[in-house]
Amino acid sequence: MAGFQPKKEAIISAGIDIGTSTTKIIISRFSLMNVAGSTHVPRIEIVDKEILYKSPIFRTPLQDATTIDIKGVELIIRSQYEDAGIQSSDIETGAVIITGETATKQNAREIVHYLSREVGDFLVAAAGPDLEGIIAAKGSGTYDYALKTGRVTANIDIGGGTANIAVYKRDKLLGTCTMHVGGRLIEFKDSTVMSISPPIEQLLKQENKSLRLGDTNRHPDIKFIADFMADSITRVLAKEVKAEDEVLLLGHKPNWNEPVEAIMFSGGISECMYEQEITRPSDISYNDIGKQLAASLQSNRRLTEWDWIEPEETVRATVLGAGTQTTEISGATIQVAPDELPVKNVPVYKYSFHGHLEKGLAALGQSIKEAINIYDSFQEGQNFVLYLADLPYVGFKDIQKLARAILQVMELRHDPEQPILLVMQMDYAKVLGQTLLAMNARQSVICIDQINVDHGDYMDIGRALQSEVVPVIVKTLTFHSS
Amino acid sequence: MNEQLIQTITKLVVEKLKSNEVSQPSAGTADVQIKLHSKQATGALTELPPPENPNGKVTFHQTTSAKPEKKSAVHPQPAEKTISKQEEFIEELKKKTPSRIGVGRAGSRPKTNTWLQFRLDHAAAVDAVYGEVPDKILHQLDLFQVQTRVKDKEEYIRRPDLGRKLSDEAKELIKKRCAFSPSVQIVTSNGLSAKAIEENLEDVYLSLVQSLGNLGIETGTPFYVDKGRVALMDEIGDVLQPDVVVMLIGERPGLVSAESLSAYLCYQPRIGTIEADRMVVSNIHKGGIPPVEAGAYLGTLIQKILKYEASGVSLVKKEG
Ligand code: B12
Repeated sequence: MAGFQPKKEAIISAGIDIGTSTTKIIISRFSLMNVAGSTHVPRIEIVDKEILYKSPIFRTPLQDATTIDIKGVELIIRSQYEDAGIQSSDIETGAVIITGETATKQNAREIVHYLSREVGDFLVAAAGPDLEGIIAAKGSGTYDYALKTGRVTANIDIGGGTANIAVYKRDKLLGTCTMHVGGRLIEFKDSTVMSISPPIEQLLKQENKSLRLGDTNRHPDIKFIADFMADSITRVLAKEVKAEDEVLLLGHKPNWNEPVEAIMFSGGISECMYEQEITRPSDISYNDIGKQLAASLQSNRRLTEWDWIEPEETVRATVLGAGTQTTEISGATIQVAPDELPVKNVPVYKYSFHGHLEKGLAALGQSIKEAINIYDSFQEGQNFVLYLADLPYVGFKDIQKLARAILQVMELRHDPEQPILLVMQMDYAKVLGQTLLAMNARQSVICIDQINVDHGDYMDIGRALQSEVVPVIVKTLTFHSS
Repeated sequence: MNEQLIQTITKLVVEKLKSNEVSQPSAGTADVQIKLHSKQATGALTELPPPENPNGKVTFHQTTSAKPEKKSAVHPQPAEKTISKQEEFIEELKKKTPSRIGVGRAGSRPKTNTWLQFRLDHAAAVDAVYGEVPDKILHQLDLFQVQTRVKDKEEYIRRPDLGRKLSDEAKELIKKRCAFSPSVQIVTSNGLSAKAIEENLEDVYLSLVQSLGNLGIETGTPFYVDKGRVALMDEIGDVLQPDVVVMLIGERPGLVSAESLSAYLCYQPRIGTIEADRMVVSNIHKGGIPPVEAGAYLGTLIQKILKYEASGVSLVKKEG
């Protein structure tokens, strides 16, 4: 049978990382193939990822200190598409990640929507700090390392504004933590302090330090702050957060439950340590506390307790993760209404049957009402994905019961005409979708499986590909509140 | 001898052994005899923990001079931790296969519970071949029954060729009762596992019929053949002249599952059809492809066969 080559399909993915200080783009090509053999039930997987183009590292265009210049970003992206020889219509998947402090800025949402309209109808992810840490860990090589070795490995991605920590053991995410630790938290101009960010102001006050704008950049407090940040990271990694560290925490405390064994640094600060980039990013001045922070981390005694693993990517970890690690491929036996795709940014409501069909069906209506209250509290008709988990083994008549129940509860939505969006934890997507159609569901049905999602995630579902699968991007958290 | 009784007792013993295992705090003390063996040279060999992360050092070079000095190159790990890592690793591997791996051994032989489990599964396989499909199921699905040229189970096993031919009465009956020249003819047969039909037929069948209905594909009059073989579809094709035959048939039981069903499909099977033009979706059971999902998939697969007017290798070729 040597003559039969399994068919391959390729899709183009774009990754765009708009950080506090820098913006970069990556274009890659994924090859999809049926890995199950031509006569088996197909299983489509991404079998190869090839990076077609890596942009230079640009300074993020800002309108003012708190607003990203959307037009400026668009200009960069268009010029890079041109250099890469790519049309925006070629791009079928990918993610825009707005990282660091910029993600908290008011215009992050605007940018994401604007970009998905203007520079490619691809799937778009807006990052919150947790997702950012996860994506960086996948781009830096931490995820692969943890998968290969089984060691509990922390990725510490430090950019301009934040340090995003994600801890992995094999393919399991054990936890995340985000800190106000980054290069641009103190900036210099002409050898004097030009700006100090609010959390650092607070830290200075807490530690009775006197550093002020206009002070020389050799002021001893600067080293003190960098050392403090390094110590604080150490305490977070060891889960020994003290009261004085809390000014640097952004959101929750470290939440992993196993001791970290190895650490990897990525992000701009990591570039100061490893200097992997062949051409020094010309547009970047290190006119900030970044270099000092890198030095403080490298000389921190306690950090040597962990094994340091050199990352595969430093500054580009996040963009690489965004471009190559965010897309999942659904199972091949699914049911989708092609006209409804893509759907973007829909929240996921997880409903667990706890292994009991009847009990689960009995309580489904109540839970759906709750879901509607949470996600559509303004009664605007915000749709959601219903994720059906922990179903027992079911037969055909059970599937019919389930389908009937779903048709009923979906009518509870404020806009019941919207498509029914379902993700199945188990391999029942096609039969459930077909059963809904057989029951003459008045809505379109999108029912997919073999995707890892969880309660509270947001999902983008892309257009169906030739191989009859859909690309999916799952976002662990879109915008964190602030 | 009462086979039922033997089976019940074997089951009891296996369960008992299993429950003992669970209540033991650590795996190392689960079997006193093994402890004795492990004092010998061979035993000691198996106790050696594998080298930690043999690949790690190779792939992840640590090059920069700026990196801080490690206090010590080797992190001594407490012995206990190594074992738990190793156990964890074996658990990971076990999740990936239904094969009996990591089951340990007593000297050169399997442990008693492993051996008994094996015997039990083997017995279940034999039972599946010799069992019968309850009439109730065929009734519920409204399937009438016909025979092949095989007289009994022994002959069925010895003479596959007879399982590929309809009895004279069967030919008459299907001619009389079945719609002629449908798009799709569904045939079911116990084949080598009655248990497979008992457990899965209803779900695959109903889901398949629904799927074909959704796609607007017309089906003929389905029926059940006792003691059939896959290539029986050729003769059925000759008699009824359908475009596609899909045959839901019990697979030869294995030690992983004795109740696995296959769907064999062929575009216009007729006497003389070559094997390469058949195709199969196998492993339809609780632990494999869920039967309801298999039925839904088969519908779209049949749609493709009809579209390309080909199945098996010819379909792969035509699809290009
Ligand atoms: C027994 C067996 C065989 C025997 C069949 C002997 C015989 N004459 O009875 C032999 C060793 C010859 C065989 C050969 C092959 N087999 Co085989 N075989 C099986 C097995 C273990 C049981 C099948 C069974 O119970 N059938 C039911 C009984 C009632 O059918 P039967 O009428 O007695 O026998 C017919 C069928 O078994 C059929 N058959 C057997 N294998 C295959 C494979 C394909 C693709 C087709 C269309 C038909 C077919 O041919 C027999 C004669 O008509 C299954 C495992 C399983 N989980 O099902 C694999 C299995 C069906 N075989 C498989 C394969 C790949 C093959 C080969 C293509 C291997 C090769 N590369 O040459 C060939 C193709 C044979 C063909 N007929 O076209 C795969 C099919 C995978 C898939 N979905 O495509 C299976 C599922 C094993 C696996 N897990 O990989 N096989």
